[in-house]
Amino acid sequence: MEKRNKILVIIPAYNEAKNIGPVLESLKKEVFYADVIVIDDHSTDSTKEVVEKNNIKCITNVFNMRYAWTVQTGIKYAEYHNYDYAIFMDADGQHLASEAAKLYDTMINTNSDIVIGSRYLKDTGYKCPLFRKIGTKFFAGLVRLFTGKKIADPLSGFQCINKKVIDFWSKCGNYPEYPDANLIIEMLLRGYKITETPVKMKNRESGASMHSGIWKPIKYMTTQFYTCIVTFVKYIGKRRIK
Amino acid sequence: MTPTSIFLTIIAILVILYILISIRKNKLSPANSFIWIIFCIVLLVLSIWPASLDWLANLLGISYPPTLFLAIAIVILFIMNFTQSKKIEDLQKKIIDLGQELSIQKDKKK
Repeated sequence: MEKRNKILVIIPAYNEAKNIGPVLESLKKEVFYADVIVIDDHSTDSTKEVVEKNNIKCITNVFNMRYAWTVQTGIKYAEYHNYDYAIFMDADGQHLASEAAKLYDTMINTNSDIVIGSRYLKDTGYKCPLFRKIGTKFFAGLVRLFTGKKIADPLSGFQCINKKVIDFWSKCGNYPEYPDANLIIEMLLRGYKITETPVKMKNRESGASMHSGIWKPIKYMTTQFYTCIVTFVKYIGKRRIK
Repeated sequence: MTPTSIFLTIIAILVILYILISIRKNKLSPANSFIWIIFCIVLLVLSIWPASLDWLANLLGISYPPTLFLAIAIVILFIMNFTQSKKIEDLQKKIIDLGQELSIQKDKKK
């Protein structure tokens, strides 16, 4: 593992006081060479206190911005402080700190711009709810149809990005509300190199996911499907895919 | 003039007055008031001189003139709604951008 590069682990968190403690503990042990920042999306519980108790830097959004723009706050922070790489991790304990190094190693070995931690590239023993599995397969199909590239887990938020992507996402004025398959399609069509690496993941430990309930998954699927098509149309005639 | 024309004329004049007062009180910028004023002037012309609607409908081959009035209103409202939708999105982007900048700057000050 190279330690010369400046690496930032970005953890967006909203009301994750119960889950975030162990995540930070394991990060301190497993990814000690990286800086960690938690972007607290104006939580109403004691997320910020838990983070500060763990001696980890915490930025609190001045108002609730929801997931994507909270992640973008972290990306902007990485850009301001000149980080070479950024790794996104969830605060709910789903992404394992021990796997974060794998993303970074793959990034260095393959010279990619984005590395996605994939649950479905190999059998990693991850128990995925049926609805999510269908959704992932569907969007993986869309990515393949629109870009010709095979991405097994386009809905994974466990990613590592390099400086080029940090600069681009921190300045892009239309960072999407749901930055998943649509953003992958956009980045592929723009000519960025995306690689996947198999990682182990856990199911969330407690509290509600941002895609829980009935209405939210429907809204998510519809928006995602629509934005994938629009992104594809947007790049007709200006594809730079490699 | 029919009672309907009188009623519509009064409404159009009142709305124009309301827009002018709003501009005087700095609650509406002259630029943003433009499309509303045009909308009211069209309404005023059609109310004072209803035959113009018949003439225009005849010209466009519409057999029932009031439908033309509704069609014009829907098109104008659609354009206004679309313009505002774009503006709201632009503002939302700026607010998010400001919020993110502020969150990071606040951290720097600590």
